[in-house]
Amino acid sequence: MALHKDEAIVLFKRSYGESDKIVRLFTLSSGKVAAIAKGANKSRKRFANTLEPFNRIRVEYFEKYGRGMVRIENADIVETNSGIEKSLKRACTAGFFVEFVDRLTKERERHEDLFNVLAEILEGIRGAEFTYDDILHYQLRMLGILGFMPNFHTCVYCGQAMAADEKIFFSRERGGILCPKCAPSLPHQVCTEGVIEGIVSVQQANGNAAPGFQAVWRCAENGPPYLNNGFERAAQDIMEGFMTFHLDVEFKSYRILKRLIV
Amino acid sequence: MSVFYPAPIERLIENLTKLPGIGRKTATRLSFFLLNAKDSYITELATSLVDIKEKIRLCSICFNITDTDPCEICIDARRSRSTVCVVEESSHMMVIESSYPGYFRYHILHGVINPIEGIGPDEIRIKELQERIEKEDIKEVIIATNPNIEGNTTAHYIGEILKPLDVRITRIASGVPVGGDIVYIDSLTIKSSLDNRKNL
Ligand SMILES: [Zn+2]
Ligand SMILES: [Zn+2]
Repeated sequence: MALHKDEAIVLFKRSYGESDKIVRLFTLSSGKVAAIAKGANKSRKRFANTLEPFNRIRVEYFEKYGRGMVRIENADIVETNSGIEKSLKRACTAGFFVEFVDRLTKERERHEDLFNVLAEILEGIRGAEFTYDDILHYQLRMLGILGFMPNFHTCVYCGQAMAADEKIFFSRERGGILCPKCAPSLPHQVCTEGVIEGIVSVQQANGNAAPGFQAVWRCAENGPPYLNNGFERAAQDIMEGFMTFHLDVEFKSYRILKRLIV
Repeated sequence: MSVFYPAPIERLIENLTKLPGIGRKTATRLSFFLLNAKDSYITELATSLVDIKEKIRLCSICFNITDTDPCEICIDARRSRSTVCVVEESSHMMVIESSYPGYFRYHILHGVINPIEGIGPDEIRIKELQERIEKEDIKEVIIATNPNIEGNTTAHYIGEILKPLDVRITRIASGVPVGGDIVYIDSLTIKSSLDNRKNL
């Protein structure tokens, strides 16, 4: 039985029986892994408080415990979750992104990029509360990595490139914008002018300058002025419709987070 | 070919195996014990099972499990009227009560904030706590949720919403356990014990 050493982010934990813990880990080299830690609730020495959600840990585990689970032999903290508990919004934001990874990746599917983005997100939230722009930015980055990026640049039906002021028709079913010619014959929603461009600018912004950054692109010199009026609600509406249709998963944290955003 | 016990026994075995930690073998052993037990014991056992469903409810003040409303703790005049200890579950209250008997009044949240499980502030008894503080003459709220991410998030949230009210909010300390050895304590706990150190 080989002992694996890896780095991981704890996605989920649940007590199992009197003294064991079941966790889902997002590991750097093997992606999502379900694991059992025998005696985790009793032995403070071996696992202490390492197997808690949002912690980044170094872990040693044995294949196979059975039922697809590995058995954790040892775990040490690399980065704790402390800071995330400071507000409900922080906890929900962290929960949302952790669920994102948990629900949208398959077990044993290696995703180094996604691991790094998740680590960056959690580090950010530990330092400061995310604005909606921060959330949207990372949501788009994760969708991009997973190959689910909506098309905000060309008409998803005819491929026509579009000017900024034409980008007002969005088709959740087809996963992108429609040109004025194609829109009438396909189901779509009409968005306020500027919202799509706003999403694009949030997506392209380089948000990872420092942990705990605040969205700066909104106030950028050449930043579009329309971003301030009802942008959150409109963008959220587009993203929510898109994700519900294409990914068919419900994020439990999002239900609570949503009420805190707008 | 499988052999079955008479139907009433099979039914009992089946029902017992639904209990946590009870397999078919143990269930069978228990069934035969019950089959041979005194009538008075069987009646008593059956009544007590029905009673926990029929008579146990939540106290309308503190949400403790109780058979009288308000519960015995809430009507206990010797307890401090000014201090409420907030806990996750009734079982946690029992633990505190056993080391600080007859002192506090309590508020049972029935859970902790845990967004990934879909549990937000509205899913537990936080609003009711807020109403109590406004209504009763409470001077101090001790938050005794577990010192993990969910318990800490809940504590911060309660602290936040009670801030406008004229009440002292305290959090149970976490650190080196009594009789513990520093050598064997994890770094997070050590850090917490240093952050929360007190004057000698
Ligand atoms: Zn078109
Ligand atoms: Zn009571």
